[in-house]
Amino acid sequence: MILSNLLHRPIRTVVSILAIAIEVGMVLLVVGMTTGLLHDAARRVEGLGADIMVEPPGASFFFGLGWAPVPIKVADRLAQIPHVLAVTPVLFQSNTNVGSGVNVIWGIDPASFDRVTGGFVFLKGGMFSGPYDALVDDLYAKAHHVKVGMTISLLNHDFRVAGIVEHGKGSRLFIPMATAQDLASAHDKASIFFLKCTDPGYTDDVMKAVHQLAPQYQVISVREYMTLMTANNLPALDAFITALIAVAVIIGLLVIFLSMYTTITERTREIGILKSLGASKGFIMTIILREAAVLAAVGIVGGFLGALGAKRVILASFPTLSVDLSVEWAVWAALLALGGTMLGAFYPALRAAQLDPVDALAYE
Amino acid sequence: MEPIILTENLKKVYHVGKVDVPALRGVDLLVHEGEFVAIVGPSGCGKSTLLHILGGLTSPTSGKVLVDGNDFSKMTDADRTRFRRHKIGFVFQRFNLLPTLTARNNIEIAQHIQGNGYNPHRFEAVVEMLGIKDKLDYKPYALSGGEQQRVAIARAVICEPKILLADEPTGNLDTENSQVVLNMLRTLNRNFRQTIVMITHNPEAAAVADRTIRMRDGYILPD
Ligand SMILES: Nc1ncnc2c1ncn2[C@@H]1O[C@H](COP(=O)(O)OP(=O)(O)OP(=O)(O)O)[C@@H](O)[C@H]1O
Ligand SMILES: [Mg+2]
Repeated sequence: MILSNLLHRPIRTVVSILAIAIEVGMVLLVVGMTTGLLHDAARRVEGLGADIMVEPPGASFFFGLGWAPVPIKVADRLAQIPHVLAVTPVLFQSNTNVGSGVNVIWGIDPASFDRVTGGFVFLKGGMFSGPYDALVDDLYAKAHHVKVGMTISLLNHDFRVAGIVEHGKGSRLFIPMATAQDLASAHDKASIFFLKCTDPGYTDDVMKAVHQLAPQYQVISVREYMTLMTANNLPALDAFITALIAVAVIIGLLVIFLSMYTTITERTREIGILKSLGASKGFIMTIILREAAVLAAVGIVGGFLGALGAKRVILASFPTLSVDLSVEWAVWAALLALGGTMLGAFYPALRAAQLDPVDALAYE
Repeated sequence: MEPIILTENLKKVYHVGKVDVPALRGVDLLVHEGEFVAIVGPSGCGKSTLLHILGGLTSPTSGKVLVDGNDFSKMTDADRTRFRRHKIGFVFQRFNLLPTLTARNNIEIAQHIQGNGYNPHRFEAVVEMLGIKDKLDYKPYALSGGEQQRVAIARAVICEPKILLADEPTGNLDTENSQVVLNMLRTLNRNFRQTIVMITHNPEAAAVADRTIRMRDGYILPD
């Protein structure tokens, strides 16, 4: 009965399923892309191999917000702390380029950067040889069709691509520290310091020492940083995700509401017939709700498949992005879609159940 | 014989805006178990209203209604629904089959709603008697009016209702199909002692019944 009703109005059925699928797919992709972005950034920091990050007061460890560069000299003092193997300063610069989004460019000092991170893996080319040389990672290179020796525009200046490095070490774009300082008019300054201990076991001791040395600085271990890089810890991002999910769920709910509402109007007579056969209110409600549940179930599966398909397309077209589709969120998206569907179908189902049988039978 | 339907001073007033429309003005009706009764009368005299009340589709305004021992004045909406589910079968002028379902599913859904499950013997017997065996897999639009009405009768009697209520069952049929449908009702009544109350405009149809009740302006006329 439910199936034959759904098949009887194929367009309505398909549109309803599509709405649910889009709802589910959108939730999965929004969450997947934002967590993907965060995890990706976090993984790249982890990939540096540093143990501790030291930032000036007021800065955010979530790169991109409120940088107040501090004297690079601090690095020398940090390096003298016992059990510190190496310290490397980095100066952040954001590069807004039409068509490529926002990239954080790292100004680095190759020598100390290599000591902390163990050095880049060069896939092509090599380290900077002049002030206007840049390194890009392989994903950036793939996304922007960059080759060694090419000129790319960063911070409104032309840079020569000196090398393409394996991704996973901090940023996707690197330029020499001095050049970054020049362009930012931040001479002898840095945004952050990465510390490597002689052994990760000394991390806590070194953190304490840094704290004593520069109490106003923010000190965080990379391990803790990794746990903080979730949307929940970024209020703005969390609100953004919540808002998008709410919009998706509400749209799904409204489409189902409208779909079921028109259905019961259309089927008023049929409901009257069922009532004349002795169908109870519960029976009628169950029919309508089950029908909605079938729409939701098919839509949810469609949404899953759509999200997987979209992920492939996104990764193929934007190699620098990453999309983390989690089972946990798939369950959440399914529950939200099902809940929204039931909520949307509830009122129409109630209306159907409460129809007067004689009026319903007389309905044209 | 047992009276299966008994009404005393049954009244029904419809409220249309501020206007009261009295559809039944005091109906005293007695039908015995196993009887085949025809109700005739001019349009608007309250025949359908009476049938709807007897089937529990709508409630009376006042008066007494006893159907198979159930006193409607003491029954809730849900009670009447349950009563209808187990004791009443309806046949309508417009057939009222569910358009998305095949004939078979239309009949089966009545069994499903009644909740006693599928009874293959009863199904076979009813389908056989109504001669719709080879039409079972068609949807209503693919059936003629006569065939649709036979399916509707099958659906109405599949659960062995105490009373079959038919509202102008031949009203949309040509003479030939009318005759077929009337014969089936006759057979049901004869072979299964099916109590039938049938509304009709057609004197020939009324002649098939054991007894004819005349109505006018919300009353039953004395014989
Ligand atoms: N739902 C309703 N609301 C208001 N008035 C109604 C309603 N149903 C019936 N009536 C009125 O009650 C009266 C009896 O109607 P009913 O349908 O019982 O007549 P009927 O004898 O079945 O007529 P017909 O032969 O045309 O089917 C009519 O005046 C009709 O207009
Ligand atoms: Mg009528």
